[in-house]
Amino acid sequence: MFEKSLYDLIRGLRNHKGSEREYIAESIKECRKEIRSNDMDLKATALMKLTYLEMFGHDMSWASFNVLEVMSSSKFKQKRTGYLAAVQSFRRDTEVLVLAENQLKKDVMSPTPPYIALPLGAIPHVVNPSMANSVLSDLIPRLTHSHAMIRKKTVVTLYRLALVYPETLRPAWPKIKERLLDESEDPSVTAAIVNVVCELGWRRPQDFLPLAPRLFDLLVSGDNNWMAIKLIKLFATLTPLEPRLIKKLLPPLTKIIRETSAMSLLYECINGIIQGGILEAVEGTSEGDDVAKLCVGKLRGMMVIEGDSNLKYVALLAFEKIVRLHPKLVSQQQDVILECIDDPDVSIRMRALDLVVGMVNADNLTAIVGRLMRQLRNAPIASPTHESSNERVRMTEIVPYADDDSDAEEHLPRHEHQSDQPPSLPDDYRISVIKRILEMCSSDTYGNISDFDWYIDVLVQLVRVSPSTRHTSASEEKGDTERSDDVGGGIGRELQNVAIRVKSVRSEAVDAAQSLVLVDRREQMFPTSGNGGQGVLEYAGWLVGEYANYLSRPEPVMTSLLHSNSLQLPSKTLAVYLQAVPKVFSSMAGNDQVSWTPERKTLMSLLMARIIHFLEPLSTHPSLEVQERAVEYLELMRLAAEAASGTAPGTNNGDFTDPPLLLTQAIPALFSGAELNPVAPGAQRKVPVPDDLDLDTPINPNLQHLLSHAETEGFETDEDDVYASYSEPMASHTETPTIVAPAAERLDAPHREPASYQNAVEEEYLDPDIISRRKADRRERYKDDPFYIETEGDRSGAVTPLSRIVRDGNRENNDLDIDSIPIMDLNLERASSSDHVPRARSPRRPTRKVEIMGDENLGPAADNSSREDIVQPRPTRVKKSLLEVDSSGLGSLSLVDDDGSSNRKLTQLDMERKQQEEADMNKALQEVERLRLEMQRASERLHVKEEVAVKKKKRKVRKVDVEGDEPASTPPVEAVGEEADAAPVKKKKKKKVKPEGDIEAGEEADGTVKKKKKKKRTVILDDGEGTAE
Amino acid sequence: MINAVLVFNNAGQPRLTKFYTQLETAVQQRLISEIFTLVANRPNSACNFLPLPPLLASASKSSTPTTQHNDTPSLVTYRHYATLYFIVISTSTESPLALLDFIQVFVQALDRLFENVCELDLIFNFETLHATLGEMIVGGVVVETQLEHVVTGVKAQGRVAKRPVNESKGGGGAGGLGGLTFGGLGRGGGEGIWSGR
Repeated sequence: MFEKSLYDLIRGLRNHKGSEREYIAESIKECRKEIRSNDMDLKATALMKLTYLEMFGHDMSWASFNVLEVMSSSKFKQKRTGYLAAVQSFRRDTEVLVLAENQLKKDVMSPTPPYIALPLGAIPHVVNPSMANSVLSDLIPRLTHSHAMIRKKTVVTLYRLALVYPETLRPAWPKIKERLLDESEDPSVTAAIVNVVCELGWRRPQDFLPLAPRLFDLLVSGDNNWMAIKLIKLFATLTPLEPRLIKKLLPPLTKIIRETSAMSLLYECINGIIQGGILEAVEGTSEGDDVAKLCVGKLRGMMVIEGDSNLKYVALLAFEKIVRLHPKLVSQQQDVILECIDDPDVSIRMRALDLVVGMVNADNLTAIVGRLMRQLRNAPIASPTHESSNERVRMTEIVPYADDDSDAEEHLPRHEHQSDQPPSLPDDYRISVIKRILEMCSSDTYGNISDFDWYIDVLVQLVRVSPSTRHTSASEEKGDTERSDDVGGGIGRELQNVAIRVKSVRSEAVDAAQSLVLVDRREQMFPTSGNGGQGVLEYAGWLVGEYANYLSRPEPVMTSLLHSNSLQLPSKTLAVYLQAVPKVFSSMAGNDQVSWTPERKTLMSLLMARIIHFLEPLSTHPSLEVQERAVEYLELMRLAAEAASGTAPGTNNGDFTDPPLLLTQAIPALFSGAELNPVAPGAQRKVPVPDDLDLDTPINPNLQHLLSHAETEGFETDEDDVYASYSEPMASHTETPTIVAPAAERLDAPHREPASYQNAVEEEYLDPDIISRRKADRRERYKDDPFYIETEGDRSGAVTPLSRIVRDGNRENNDLDIDSIPIMDLNLERASSSDHVPRARSPRRPTRKVEIMGDENLGPAADNSSREDIVQPRPTRVKKSLLEVDSSGLGSLSLVDDDGSSNRKLTQLDMERKQQEEADMNKALQEVERLRLEMQRASERLHVKEEVAVKKKKRKVRKVDVEGDEPASTPPVEAVGEEADAAPVKKKKKKKVKPEGDIEAGEEADGTVKKKKKKKRTVILDDGEGTAE
Repeated sequence: MINAVLVFNNAGQPRLTKFYTQLETAVQQRLISEIFTLVANRPNSACNFLPLPPLLASASKSSTPTTQHNDTPSLVTYRHYATLYFIVISTSTESPLALLDFIQVFVQALDRLFENVCELDLIFNFETLHATLGEMIVGGVVVETQLEHVVTGVKAQGRVAKRPVNESKGGGGAGGLGGLTFGGLGRGGGEGIWSGR
């Protein structure tokens, strides 16, 4: 048979353009054969080809055993091929890892340096704790190998060992330190050690303080720039612990800054001075001023230098690090930084964007936001077709295509990928710009905004430049409010916030909301392509409802809300719309000063008929929230329509006829309770639990009976009851309209459960009517109930002590005017001390005094820490990034010689984590044990039921069939193995559904039933094993 | 530390993939194509740092800003030589500018080993490519940045194969990566590498 070398494979690929897929499949098939041959050369070549194809995404995990075979070859070239294949293809779950351990140990002990280097390079890729423990003793002697190359690689390999097995450092660190302190050591080795120390250093800086003198010497005398950079980075983590280092470091650092020709070193010096807190430490002294001036001057130089955008980028990075601590220094560079916002390079723009968020203040907010808005407006919104240019790339995910050798040989003139015209902004950049704008404007409760009309205009404008959102339907169903690409919602929240907090611009905000809601202006208000920005409708809908009396054109708004387009809105928005409809209706119909004329009667009846027409189909909407609201208001509207048609209109001769009370009193009362004010996220928790609150006594002791009763009753009677509870009291209330609709009574029960009440805080914005209704309803009954917080808008006159506290707390906040918000004062001070910043704000400021409502709270404002865990309980474990190598294990191990302290130094987090891990491990072990026993029992049963000999024979035959397809997945446990053999092609889960094996193997009829049971169990066991490992 | 080193050509075909963590093959491919999408649309005047690709960006947001460094890859540095892109993904403990120099040394070492290296050399000798990288990075930590040492280290492992003769069309006329690159940057000796910037 003709055998292909790697060279032939690549040649072949290049000659099979268009049919690569077939060619590769064919080649892999050949490799499968070749790799099983006894000829080591053939094996190694096949492995090499597979490794090459793996680079394009072709799985070679099935060959892991063959990898091991080639690794054990005695020829260096073959061994190297084997090791490369191992590094590239071994994964966490590769089973032969256990076997590889011995090979690695053996090669580490080899007498020839290149042989030793192979396992040294491979171990970091495959190491796990048990392997680390086992190879550690072989690696440590290599630290004193005669060959510098081996020594330096060993140091690094040991570091990777320590990451998975921190105990490594106990024996290894003293030796590594010895190497570091040895001044006659090869500079390469020293540099490698410094690299490792730098990685270790930020985890446990305190352990490396004793090394500072030696490291300092290396910094001063070293001629290796890479090492110098690492040393500076290391020192930056040490200086906060040992301030005396600063004095020592400053001269060499400034010397390097002045003298070095390497820009990277210069930059890292500045960076080190910034990060190490050296600027703060020497602040105020003349020396400190010099240093600050030197650093900032150099950074500015990097920004303005022509043609090197890399320097611009890193300078922005450095500025970002100082902006929090030294806003003054950074704001002096405002001119060059703002230029970067419009840089053609998106990377630089992003950095600049991050930076300006930190340096924004009342003076420059308008300018910065203006720049960003301009950018958003002028660049076209990327249409989906824009991305198609990279279609070819996407294909590589699965199918590698043939090598295109036309490029590969000749040097191509670098071809420009972009034309000169401004490119359309990528969506994620657009989203992040909008988010930053909102963040900057809303920071410090709008502390930087002086002109709210402007802000509302900005918000409306932002809607129009929003990129279209993806996966709306999917994410909407999940109710995920934090979905990253929905900026519309964020803009809406801002609009809502402004309308609530800033009374003086409420009518403008409602105007804006109105313009967004109006269907006939949709084209104009929203971007033409996609559904960008539509998330804002949820909030705009709320605003037009809640502040319906501010509407300038309620009729068109109502028409828009009832428009058939609304039915297509996401269910969350639709629910808000449903809530807004009766609110707008009540403002249109609720006037009791106008006589009930025939025209009015006709108009109202028409309007109600339209509403009913809109609501009716929604009462069967799939979303429960929409359905519930639709049903509620449908009934209400039907009642109202009845009342309207039952009230005879007066004549047109000027006599005043009372309109129906349901329209003028009852319905408005549903929505016109107390004014809604912002509540601090933590306020709810601060409400003291009353002593007499009894959560243990069942509300209805007869619950069991009721439930069983309800079950036996038919559905229809049940439904009737529901309707009865809606309609009966309602009828009575038309006569005594001061009491609110009884639907609220249904809320009484949940009110007693703290859990569900807690939810009310989050949903307050969404369900304002519930709160107001509840308030009105309970005003009399729960005067002393602390859950009932009276607000300023309350007119009942009954002031409970609690509500007084709330009110007093509010007053304090409410009286804040914009000038007294702390950050502003701070900026004023700073800005006045700096001559570089143009000051345009002072004359305008006093002319308009904007009152911004703060959050309501009980007692002193909640501190952030307690707030955070109320509002958004953070997951204890942060999601790990894809490529991340977790080094947190190092945090708990002390490297300092005086031991015993290591245990005490365990942080709380580490302790918890450890306990958690131990608990998990115990649980997993128990589970494994349980499953093992079960499996054992099952197999015993099997042996009794069946003739072993026959079975075994069968299995063997099948195995041969299967091997070619999935030998790697053959599970280790016998019973499971059999299972896999029985249904070779199917996935494990499928077996449950299709117990083919049963029919095949179950020759004895009486065994079938029991065997089925057993099969199921083994499947579970298989899964359990997988997770336990 | 360094989390991954990638080399792919102008069409996005991988020439070297080295991940210093174990990653599913499919995810590797996705990451490569995400990065290629990012890098391919950049003009040459743009800086050599990429925004994080979507696969990496999602997780990095949750990282704690309290400490100076963390384990999350936060830096994607690349250089474009003729037909090839060289990508390094690293955490914040690496210096961005130094990584640019690092890539430069890597390419110089290849140039030295292959004498006027071009993409074809790397295709047919991808083992040597891996070996060269292995001399410079072990397990994500840089072990060597001196050109001479790297070249000696690779040569110690055996003769470096040349590209097959019949593959080369133009001989001297075919400009390699090196020829194109170093013209502008000044080809210094071992010491001069770091002052190149």
